[in-house]
Amino acid sequence: MNISYNWLKNYINPDVDAFELGNILTSIGLEVGAVEEVQTVKGGLEGLLIGKVLTCVAHENSDHLHVTTVDVGQAEPLQIVCGAPNVAANQKVVVAPIGTKLYAGDEVFSIKRSKIRGVESFGMICAEDEIGIGKSHDGIIVLPDDAVIGMPAKEYYKIENDHLIEVDITPNRVDAASHYGVARDLSAYYSIRKPQIKLRKPSVDAFAVKNKDLALKVQVDDTSLCPRYSGLLISNLRVGESPDWLKNYLLVVGLRPINNVVDVTNFVLHELGQPLHAFDADKITSGEVRIRTLAEGTKFTTLDGVERSLSAEDLMICNGDLPMCIAGVFGGLDSGVSETTRNVFLESAYFNPVSVRKTARRHALNTDSSFRFERGCDPANTVYALKRAALLIQELTGGSIASDVIDIYPQEVEAFELNLSLAKIRALTGVEIPKQEVETLLRALEIEICAEENGIYRLKVPPYRVDVQRDVDVIEELLRLYGYNRVELGEAVRATLSYSEKPDNYKLQQLISEQLTGQGFNEIMNNSFTKEAYYTHLTSYKAENCVRLLNPLSSDLNVMRQTLLFGGLDSIARNIKYRNTDLWMYEFGNCYSYNSELSDAAKSLTAYSEDFRLGIWMTGNRRGQSWITVEEKLTVYDLKAYVEAILLRLGIDLRSLSMTEFENDIFSSAISLSKASGQTLAVYGILRPAVCRWADVEAEVFFAELNWTALLNSIRNHKVETCDLPKYPEVKRDLALLIDKRVRFSEIEGLAFRTERKLLRKVSLFDVYEGKSLQEGKKSYAVNFVLRDDDKTLTDNQIDSVMKKLLRSFEEELGAQLR
Amino acid sequence: MRTKIAQLRAEIEALTASNAEELEKLRIRLLSKKGEITSLFNDFRNVANEEKREMGVLLNELKQAAQEKINTLKESFAKRQEDNTVGDLTRSALPLKIGSRHPLSLVKHEIAAIFSRLGFSIAEGPEIEDDWHVFTALNFPLEHPARDMQDTFFVERNPDILLRTHTSSVQVRVMENRKPPIRLIFPGRVYRNEAISYRAHCFFHQVEGLYIDREVSFADLKQALLYFAREMFGSETRIRLRPSYFPFTEPSAEMDISCNICHGKGCAFCKHSGWVEILGCGMVDPNVLKNCGIDPEQYSGYAFGMGVERIANLKYRTKDLRLFSENDIRFLEQFRAAF
Repeated sequence: MNISYNWLKNYINPDVDAFELGNILTSIGLEVGAVEEVQTVKGGLEGLLIGKVLTCVAHENSDHLHVTTVDVGQAEPLQIVCGAPNVAANQKVVVAPIGTKLYAGDEVFSIKRSKIRGVESFGMICAEDEIGIGKSHDGIIVLPDDAVIGMPAKEYYKIENDHLIEVDITPNRVDAASHYGVARDLSAYYSIRKPQIKLRKPSVDAFAVKNKDLALKVQVDDTSLCPRYSGLLISNLRVGESPDWLKNYLLVVGLRPINNVVDVTNFVLHELGQPLHAFDADKITSGEVRIRTLAEGTKFTTLDGVERSLSAEDLMICNGDLPMCIAGVFGGLDSGVSETTRNVFLESAYFNPVSVRKTARRHALNTDSSFRFERGCDPANTVYALKRAALLIQELTGGSIASDVIDIYPQEVEAFELNLSLAKIRALTGVEIPKQEVETLLRALEIEICAEENGIYRLKVPPYRVDVQRDVDVIEELLRLYGYNRVELGEAVRATLSYSEKPDNYKLQQLISEQLTGQGFNEIMNNSFTKEAYYTHLTSYKAENCVRLLNPLSSDLNVMRQTLLFGGLDSIARNIKYRNTDLWMYEFGNCYSYNSELSDAAKSLTAYSEDFRLGIWMTGNRRGQSWITVEEKLTVYDLKAYVEAILLRLGIDLRSLSMTEFENDIFSSAISLSKASGQTLAVYGILRPAVCRWADVEAEVFFAELNWTALLNSIRNHKVETCDLPKYPEVKRDLALLIDKRVRFSEIEGLAFRTERKLLRKVSLFDVYEGKSLQEGKKSYAVNFVLRDDDKTLTDNQIDSVMKKLLRSFEEELGAQLR
Repeated sequence: MRTKIAQLRAEIEALTASNAEELEKLRIRLLSKKGEITSLFNDFRNVANEEKREMGVLLNELKQAAQEKINTLKESFAKRQEDNTVGDLTRSALPLKIGSRHPLSLVKHEIAAIFSRLGFSIAEGPEIEDDWHVFTALNFPLEHPARDMQDTFFVERNPDILLRTHTSSVQVRVMENRKPPIRLIFPGRVYRNEAISYRAHCFFHQVEGLYIDREVSFADLKQALLYFAREMFGSETRIRLRPSYFPFTEPSAEMDISCNICHGKGCAFCKHSGWVEILGCGMVDPNVLKNCGIDPEQYSGYAFGMGVERIANLKYRTKDLRLFSENDIRFLEQFRAAF
């Protein structure tokens, strides 16, 4: 909302300039976005001087130009060539000396020394329109004789620049959505600081009904939609241009002057916060103003020329049955005040805020009027505002107030009563606001103190403060005006013990993030929104399980991700575009899914689930080239190592998980790690090139996704307990096994541990050979076994017997042969 | 056997290897389980008894010679390699990948760390929410203009299922399920239906905080926030509280910190005001407490909420919000040394 500093000074005289006033307003909750100087006359008449024409003779080479000398109070008079027909000696005139800037619309031009048909000219004698104080171009301005030579024109014209103060009105502060409202809040601020700075309310004492020439019937059909409706008639007015003071105020706050009637209604709206509407009374042909709703689909053309289809819930101001105005929102094209209007019906009402808001939204309208009504105007203020506007219209248009005030107000909105205790003020604010200040502030806010007993006030809050209904609301008023920044702080902290959840999700995320970062990964964060197109060709994540937005920003961001995969691929594509091809990245984030089978009639959240996951992507090289290394491409086993390192760091025993190889429409080859319960903790593998290409990635990408929530659940009982160090040495033995290609290492490992449960500690693969020299369909795995007995040193016999047992198992169950 | 030993002996004397791999092959050929020397030992049992003593000595000498020769060669390789690496330590190091944390994680973590020093724990909650937890319980009446302040993404309408516009929904869930005292912070992702630009995004991250107990005051709130501001932005930081409006707090305030770029002198970043808006806060509205089953006559509390991106912008002088979700390595690598 825009406030004119000059306009504001009609109601209060702050002791500071507009900029400092902006700071004060911000400090009391009327946040000022900007303060700007506004010139009421463009250029502010800067540089222009009052002069006297000393001599004036006809120009030798022209039939209409004159050559003059003009005294502008300087040592030498100026020689000026002037084309105006009315210039003559001894006139007092406005002179633009060399260097003055003049404005023509948006253009600026500078007065320069020039030669006009051979005669030098050192300035210009100005007409009204040339300096922006009027429209006349009939000739130069001739000032009265008492104008002082050499006086700056801006002093002569008393040009005072204004300041525009932009105030952001929060939804609860409609009371301050006007110049008077801001002044009232300021007066409360000053009441405990500089009580001599007082609020002035415009008087309507002069209001008087001149005649009763006009009459209208007013009927409100539903007083819940229109709790108060006030109006009156003004006759015999002459619609015309508004005076400069009024136009200037409106222009400063950004309103276009229209005519003296409409301008007054706008002025009063911005002065008092009460929206008004002026109807051409002669167009109310039925003789009745009815405030009612109309049938659904009724057509109505608003002031902007748009034909709208009304809802049966839109409250309308009607000429009998015919709509004239959308109540509190927007006027009609045909019922308003025009040049030919002679009689006016002026409306000042209080409409139901929710109804106005719904209607405004329905028609996508947001007007100065709806802005105020939907936040709640002051129902007690309608008649005062009406009188104020009527007096101004009468004054500016020559019309006469031609009816009594019509005021339909069946159920008066009462001041709101509540109790406020001083102790509660202290408890909630933590400061001791002196009792005297509390009372001064309450009075300045027009809150009536009905009684006080034992530090408890009985208060009556006037209806202009729609948001003040409880003691805490009053306390906020007191504290903001007392000053948030005056609240002093102690050194000691008041706190309460607070326990963290175990396992500490946040801490473990930190732990694993730091581990991956230390290993060379970059942490990334992707949008939760993605395109549905990623899911339409998948069966591993079905498009129907996407959480779909009803109002997405675009079709590329229309669903929520079910997997972290695609966000990472998008990021990889972006980086590869910039020639960064070795990418190791991870992301912690939620994935979302919808299961229609769990949907219920109440539309509860049960059909929606969120899964917190950790995604890891690797592509490009494991290691770049250097003087000591050769370039090495990443393999899926790199990714596997990092995934397993995470599980180990979290205390998950890899051997307790079942490892399943699979391929699907995302992975060409992958592993899933799951718990005995069947719950999957992690999947990782090689992405299908087609999937990568959906995201415009041509490179091979390895991807892992860990179900973080499930991981945390599975380590709920994890503990680290030490055991005695082994006293006896470990023994290592190797076997080179010739096996079928389909045999997996995990089978060898699993079988080994099942075969030797006591002494076997570790099984690892240290060489793989799949060369041509082997039998067709065979491969060679060289496997290392670590054995240890915690009770004694192993003997060769024992070792040999374990190794034989193992080999036999491999031969019998996996068809292995020793190489 | 004797000839074989002599032959091997000669061979060992002449043994050379040009690198460690060759040497290892030699070792395997001679000394491994199936190696030539090992097999001679295996053949030892076939040696006539009268020769056993002599052959034993020869064999052992052979094995020892082989072992020594191999060790010598090994050492010479090691030494050569050492010469190679010790020669010029100014050569570039092994290419090692260095990772980075995401700036928003760093900031979130720092916020959490500061409030954890003030005794706050962490709680989290769902992003897909119902109207009750995001609006109604938080004192946003239906059809109230306050709902306009936040543009919401909807998943279903009537009744509404939506994406939370603030993490205050988690505050509601906590208050519904726990008895005071409550002292928690709530980090998380939130969504607003705004066109994506350098200064707005459709999702961002918040950390909100809540303290509920008997006689919690505005002064307590201000103290916690001043501590936060100084820990986060430096001990010289000043704060300014401005009255504001949130449906869920009363009184409500917005907090500015003295601009940490111009130190209050005025610059383009703080729009020449010397102050930068950093968070919203206030005393929990009694209606909210009531909605969550907490008696407002007995308990009061404060709440605050801040945008992680905003603080990251301030801390790292990032100028474009989109950078946080584009994951350009050239941007992320700038946070290698951020902690």
